[in-house]
This record gives sequence, C-alpha cells and structure tokens, in this order.
Amino acid sequence: MQGPWVEKYRPQTLDEVVGQDHIIPRLKRYVEEGNMPNLMFTGPAGVGKTTTALALAKEMLGEYWRQNFLELNASDARGIDTVRNDIKNFSRLKSVGAPFRIIFLDEVDNMTKDAQHALRREMEMYTKTSSFILSCNYSSKIIDPIQSRCAIFRFTPIKGSQIIKRLKIIAEAENVTATAGALESIVYFAEGDMRRAVNILQASSTIDNQITEESVHEVISKAKPQDVRKIINSALDGKFMEARDLLREVMVVQGTSGEDMITQIYREVSKMAMEGLLDQETYIDLIENIGKFDYRIREGSNPRIQLEALLTKFLLKDKQS
Amino acid sequence: MLWTEKYNPKNFDEVLGNAKAKDEIEDWINAWILGEHPKPLLLVGPPGTGKTTLAHLAAQEFADSIELNASDKRSYDILLRTIGEASATGSLFNQGLKLIILDEVDGIHGTDDRGGVRAISKIIKEGHHPLIMMANDPYSKRIKSLKTKCQVINIKKVHTNSIVALLKRICIKEGVDFEEHVLRTLAKQSKGDLRSAINDLEIMARGKKSITSADLEMISKKDDIHNIFDSVRTVLKSKNPQRIRDAMRVEADPAFILELITENVPREYEKKDEIEEAYEMISQADTYLGRAFQTRNYGYWKYTYDLMSLGVALSKDETYRKFTRYANSSVYTLLSKSRAKRDLRDRVADKIGEKTHSSRRVVREQFPCLEMMFQDNDLARELADYFNLDDAEVKLFRSRKIPKRKKAKPKKSSQKDTGNKVEKKESSAVVKREGKKEKEVKPQKSPKKTKSTTKKSKPSQNKDVKNLAKEKEASNEKNSTKKKPSNPEDKEKQVSLFSFK
Repeated sequence: MQGPWVEKYRPQTLDEVVGQDHIIPRLKRYVEEGNMPNLMFTGPAGVGKTTTALALAKEMLGEYWRQNFLELNASDARGIDTVRNDIKNFSRLKSVGAPFRIIFLDEVDNMTKDAQHALRREMEMYTKTSSFILSCNYSSKIIDPIQSRCAIFRFTPIKGSQIIKRLKIIAEAENVTATAGALESIVYFAEGDMRRAVNILQASSTIDNQITEESVHEVISKAKPQDVRKIINSALDGKFMEARDLLREVMVVQGTSGEDMITQIYREVSKMAMEGLLDQETYIDLIENIGKFDYRIREGSNPRIQLEALLTKFLLKDKQS
Repeated sequence: MLWTEKYNPKNFDEVLGNAKAKDEIEDWINAWILGEHPKPLLLVGPPGTGKTTLAHLAAQEFADSIELNASDKRSYDILLRTIGEASATGSLFNQGLKLIILDEVDGIHGTDDRGGVRAISKIIKEGHHPLIMMANDPYSKRIKSLKTKCQVINIKKVHTNSIVALLKRICIKEGVDFEEHVLRTLAKQSKGDLRSAINDLEIMARGKKSITSADLEMISKKDDIHNIFDSVRTVLKSKNPQRIRDAMRVEADPAFILELITENVPREYEKKDEIEEAYEMISQADTYLGRAFQTRNYGYWKYTYDLMSLGVALSKDETYRKFTRYANSSVYTLLSKSRAKRDLRDRVADKIGEKTHSSRRVVREQFPCLEMMFQDNDLARELADYFNLDDAEVKLFRSRKIPKRKKAKPKKSSQKDTGNKVEKKESSAVVKREGKKEKEVKPQKSPKKTKSTTKKSKPSQNKDVKNLAKEKEASNEKNSTKKKPSNPEDKEKQVSLFSFK
C-alpha cells in the first residue's frame, strides 16, 4: 500500500529530484559539509519544494532523520501559538543520532506578519540545535528579517521534457501505457506542476490502462471546476445575483481559495477568447481587471468580496454570439 | 431624583406622540379588564421613545406586575415560577391579573437562552396572563416568530417639536432661563430619543439659572448605536454625506458592516454600472481592511469606513424610491448549512495532507483527481486504506460504498455498467486490475491483526525502503504474483523490513 502515485513516486533522494538542477548541487554541498544554514525554498506549487526538503533532511540527518525532523503546516488553521509550542518542544531537546534537528515549515507566506515576527524569534533562539527550512510560494510575502536569515532557493516550474520523462518512468512501473499526445496534453495542463501532472496521469489510468489524449482530456474536463464557466456566463448575461450565489457556493461550501478561483477565472476567460466567445477588446479589458483583482485579493482581507467585485466587471460586457 | 423620572408621564395623556399606539394599548387593557384574553402586545421602536413608560402606565391598570429583562437568563426561572404561582391561585378574577413585562426580547440569545424562548411561548400559549414585550429592532430574527403571535405596535420617534415643547416645560418648572434655539438643537441631536434629550438638558441646566448655546458644547453629540440594518439602509438609500457618516457609527466590526453592505448593494441598486461602481468602492474598502490587518495599522480603517459608506452611497445616480427587503449575508447561511460538509472536507484533507506533506489547500486542489481515482473500486480501497479514511469520509469522493473484497468479484459486472463511461477497453483493464485486487486481498482481510503495526510503519516504510529500483522490483513482483490468489509474505516482508530497522 503506497498511496497515490504522487506519494509513491515522490523522489527520495536529492539526486532523484527533477528539474531543479541549479539548486540540488548546492544542497548536496551542505550535505557533504554536514552543516546547513536556515533555508528558504520559494516557487510555485508542485515543483518539488517539499520533496527536496524531505530528501535533504534524510540525507542530512541520516538513519534517524524521522526523529530529528519536524514538519509543520503553517497555512492550516493553526495559530502561531501551536506552531511555537511545537517548535519549542521539538527544539528544546538535543538531537539524537544526527548532527542537528531540522524544522520544516510549509507555506510560510500564509502566516500573518505577527506570526512571522514570532517565528523569527524562534529561529534565533534555537540556532544551536536546529535549522529551519521554510517554504513559500511568494517570497515577497515574507518579512525581511526572516528572508535575511535564510539562504534563499528559487524553485522554477519543471520543464515539459522533464515532466514527460518522469511520467514515462511512472507509467512503465505501473504497467500503463501513454501515447505521446497524451503526455503532451498532460504537460500542457500541468503548467510545470509535477504533482498535477502525476495526478492527471493516475486519474487517466483509472479510465483505461492505455492512456490516450482523449482520456487525458476527459480527466481534465472533469477535474476542472465546471462552475467557473457558469459563473462567468451568468455575469456576462447580466445575472449578477445568480453569478454571485454560485461563486459563494463554490468558495464557501467547496472551499476553493480566492487565489485558485481567480486563476481559474483567468484560464476560463482566456479559453473563451480563444474560442471566439469574447472579442479582443473585451478580453484585454477583462484581463486587466482580473490582474487588478488578483493583486487586491492578496492585499485585501476578504478574497470573496474582491471576486464579487471582479464579477461586476463582466456585467457590462457583451458576449459575442 | 433624575429629571427623566421626575418628568415621567403619570398617565397616558401625558405621553408625547404615538397617539394611535396609546389608543391600541388602552383598548388592549380594557379587553383584559372585561375578561377577554387578547394577544400579547409587542412594542417595537427605537430607544427613548416611551415603550417602557407605556408598559409601566399599563401596569397601573392591573393588580400586579412583574418586569423582567429578557436578555437575562435567570429571569426565566423567576418567570416560570411566577406563572406557576399565578396559575395555581387561578386568575379567574380580573382583579388578580398580573401583567408580565418583558423588556428587550430582541436581546434573547439564540442558544444560551433557549429556555427563555420556550418560557415566552408557554405564556403566550396559555394566554392566562397579560403580557407586554418590548423590542428595539423590528428586523431582529429573534422576534420574527413572536411577531405572528402578538399584536405588534410600532412606537415611533418623538417629533422634534414635541420634544422642544417638553424641554420648555421642564425649564420653566425648574426655573431655568433658556434660549429656544438651544432647546431646539438639543431636541434635534437627540434624534427622537426623549430620554436622552431630558438627560442632556439636566446635565446642562441642573443647579443653574440659565442655559446658553455655550453650554451645548458640554453635550457630546449623541453617540447612538444604530441598528446595523438602519446603517445599511442609510448607505444604500441616502446621498447625504452627513447622514451617511453618522450611520457608520455602529458598534460592529467593519468587516461585518462591509459584508452586509455588499450583500444588499445588488438588492437596492438596479443599474449595472451602479453595481459595478459600488463594488469598486467595496473592493477598495476591503483592500484597506486587509492592509490594516497585515500591518496592524488600524488607522487604515478610516478609509474602509468612508469607501464603503460614502463611496457606495454616491455610486448610485439617484436614490431609489422603493421598498427593499435587506437581507443578512447569504454567506452566513451557507456557512451554517454546510458545516457538516466542510468539516468532512477538512477532516479528509487533513488526513490526506498528513500522508502527502501538504496543506489543506493543496490537498483540496487535488480533490477532483482523487474523485476520479476513487471511482475505481480497487484503487479506492487502496487509497482509503492508505489515507485511513472511513466510509463516511470516502463518501466525499464517491457516492457508493466501496464494495467489500469478497463480493468484489460478483459485483464486478454491475460496477462496469455504472461506474464509468468506459467501453470495451475496460475489460482488459479489469482483468489486469483483478490481479492487483487479489493481491491486496490479504492485508485487508486481516486488518485488525496487523493494523496497529502497519499503520505506524506505513509512512516510514514507504520513505525509507523505497527507491525507484525497488519500486520496479515491486511492480515486477506484482506482475509475477498476479495469478497467485494471495501472497502473505509480501506484506509481512515489508513490515519486518521496517521493524528490523
């Protein structure tokens, strides 16, 4: 029992990590030296930040890495107090069987500024016993004092060819076949996100052991929330309340985050433009607004209200018939 | 003695304004005295308009009265005891009627005071006792159910002129010289709240021979707490900057006010460009709210307030002359309705996140793919085991239960029909998966025996033991063992491998 493929085929060593060639050699040097500073991994989702952190911990800490490694998810509904207590309890004790202890904090950019300041103090307090690895999507959301205490590694989206190579290895190991077209489609939709690529591959394999472009497209169309197109269409038709209710349903009940939502809206609008449903002028105007509200979502307090405001921009547009 | 008490009306005639309400109340009292049992009264109106005074005057007409503050939980014990006594002695004679006055019924807390609502309902149902209730907020949900069971009397604000007249009378009686415009300003500032007008006058004039406009400065403008829906109404209905600014003086979290204004903009505004413009203001208001939270500089709130009130108010071309029913944000209803669903979702996300080193958010993004994977019975079983999901949690991904392993074979055909839109090719896939299925039979069959050991060992075993070479081995093994119905060694080997470590 090895879980979904994303987990089963997660690289276990630094050498196996795919597509971050500018980072891995530097990390390996830390392993050779047996010492490392605090690290910060930044980059989009699914490019190997967590995988690299886990692999690095294993190689750095050796056999007893598990006992000397603490993984914390900063983004979840956990207060800074919990995080602090966990860190405190963990860092207080000297490492056993390893040179030091490693604390891995995921999605630090989702911590409030206050929490980050508190974290900064923890980082200073336990420098003798522990090293930190922080990961985040946007380093700009991390307060400067933390950034200055870390060696920053920027992870890049994984290249298509590298994703294909990996998918082929997995497919072979799982006894499924995939056509070149299928792999190309997966890569196109994955946008450099290995997790997404592997998930699409596995989902497609449940339709058929022989993965074709069609099965991939079936998966992608199912995996993509249908509601976004509906929301956009209602707004374009001038039915604001309808669009708003659906948006609320998706965000509140299904729990889609504002950032995901706006990415999906962007994709959907681009697609509609390609399909000729929106004229160029409308399209550019909408993109301008989407960008504006994307920024405001990050600045503001309630992403849902920002997205509702974005929807009003669709009201005044006419859809091309 | 405070002037508000000293000049409290001694009979119905002395009560200012609300002539119709007075008539209704007097009729109601007479009905009781004549032995009828009319519905209870519900007096609704802003503070300081005379609701309590009216109730007290009514109490004089009955033999006895008890006044309770409805927002006080304990008062219900007293209340029920009183009812008990009264019904025990029997209230056959009108002379024995005991008036029950319940103040602030809109302050009843939904969950804490559940007994309170029940007690009220009981009194109303029995109808043995004259009952007068008072509430400030006519739109309160808490009195919604009461309204249908009561005779509702709206108590309106007292007209400025009446207030001025009364203030004049008081000044004369107290021997204070006054300038009329000072009294007028006082009356205006009170916004129909007679009590506060008299209080203000007392502060200015007590122990003095005269009052002038200079004294007005002693009086801080009445910082009245508006009902939040009144504020929303003002923002959406008015274009008067002063009134709108005043309306923002409500005791509520700015995020909540913003939410309510947002909710009701498209209910009031009809033109698309008005809605767009208003939402632009709302968006900016929210941006400053976010900045305030992030930087802990709450000075930014002032922009939030201005943008969401004035900004939204001035987004309309003209004020709408229509009645709009304002609503609480649908988000709150959605939230409470979907609580179970969201809890399930988060629970599942946490379980999966633990195994896959991901946050809830990252896991949720993968839900659609997982949903598809769970359509396959074998894979579903495997994943459910791996993530340690129970039947209820599996339901998040598939509507039907995962068939039990023993029954898996006979059910296979039906699964093929309903499970997917898969056609002929499925057959080969099914054959292949059957091999897997058989192989996995073993660990599942005796889960209780191995569970405790395997559960702990799973993650580390996966991480430590596994590398690509081994995986290939494993998959080769899979192929080679395909025909074997089960291979117990396989599982045990993995377990022992770990425990060896």
